[in-house]
Amino acid sequence: MNAPLFKFGYFGEETGLIIAFIIGIGFGFFLERAGFGSGRKLAAQFYLYDMTVFKVMFTAIVTAMVGLFWLGVLGVVDLSLVYVSPTYIIPQTIGGLILGVGFVIGGYCPGTSCVGAATGKYDAMIYLLGIIAGILAFGEMFPLLRDFYYATPMGQVTLPQLFGVSYGVIVFLVVLMALGGFAGAEWVEKRLAAKKEAAS
Amino acid sequence: MKFTLSSLTLNQKLALVAGLFGFCAIFAGSPYTGSTATINAKELAVMVEKEVDHVTVDELADWIIKGRADYRLIDLRSAKDFDEYHIPGAENIPIASLPDAGLLRNEKIILYSEGGTHSAQAWFLLKALKYKNVYLLRDGLAEWKDRILFPSLAENPSPEEKAAFEKRKEVSKFFGGSPQTRNAASASQLVMPKLPVPSVSAAPTGAPKKKKKEGC
Repeated sequence: MNAPLFKFGYFGEETGLIIAFIIGIGFGFFLERAGFGSGRKLAAQFYLYDMTVFKVMFTAIVTAMVGLFWLGVLGVVDLSLVYVSPTYIIPQTIGGLILGVGFVIGGYCPGTSCVGAATGKYDAMIYLLGIIAGILAFGEMFPLLRDFYYATPMGQVTLPQLFGVSYGVIVFLVVLMALGGFAGAEWVEKRLAAKKEAAS
Repeated sequence: MKFTLSSLTLNQKLALVAGLFGFCAIFAGSPYTGSTATINAKELAVMVEKEVDHVTVDELADWIIKGRADYRLIDLRSAKDFDEYHIPGAENIPIASLPDAGLLRNEKIILYSEGGTHSAQAWFLLKALKYKNVYLLRDGLAEWKDRILFPSLAENPSPEEKAAFEKRKEVSKFFGGSPQTRNAASASQLVMPKLPVPSVSAAPTGAPKKKKKEGC
């Protein structure tokens, strides 16, 4: 059996949607168990009191990267079939900044706001309304934004292509970065906790 | 202090595992070569048998109407034929220039030709070049004309067939075709829909259909 399962035709679109639904529920469940249904916990990341978001996200990245790399090497996953979204460097950077600002102000990102809303948090529900309003506004304004949206295209680039080094080296460097990041995050948390203790 | 594995916390153990996997990755070579080294004849044969290698004209028409853009539609005919008529959204890549046309291996590619032969051959060609996500339009442009542009009602239609035909009429109109009804006197000549791009006047390329005559 080869992956990606859908692209090899093991199931059709409808089944794919059902599977996506189940995976989505699982994703939401584990986000909630990690404490990501709370805007306080998420916003604390940006004030560096609580580095859970950083650790969870980077763990997910490293797990997925190492897993895909080795499954690709073993021939289980055909990486050439995994969709890589094309890069438009300037519009995507600005979009990322807008999303980040919204994240700090609202205390949620799109996924976690669904988790928060599902557990009955009013701020998350209002945040969700904001997302829907934003989607509508963006959709209506798209003809005006189109040129910017497609500006500075770089195609479907990956880090190994961009830096001209082998895939394995990138994997190793990202793992090192993550492990260093985790150690640094624990250190920052301990320092801030000690400060708080001293202050109170 | 003596170092033992059991003295590590769970997080430290996980970090160690990740570090090991990451380090070994440097020497593991490219992950892209693993599954695409050879043609898997059996796999191809099974794909043909399971009929996952093609899309029907109805599916394609549905995608175009819905505005789906997750595929590339390739017209394998000559540039002249392409200029006369092509399915909306198609790109013209004659079969000889297919291997170096710059198609990406992770794109969904749909091939069509006049009938089914050239597209089937092109399908095998791309498969051999390790393109995985290739489909052919079943029975090609001929079927597109028959079912989408100029649909006709079977003789002595059942109510279900009549209802289906009403739907086909809508689809046909969307693509600028003309549904063939029994009492249409003008149906002796099929006129291909005009393309929006400047092109030579569309000549009727489809074989003229027999007008269906039957008593009401």
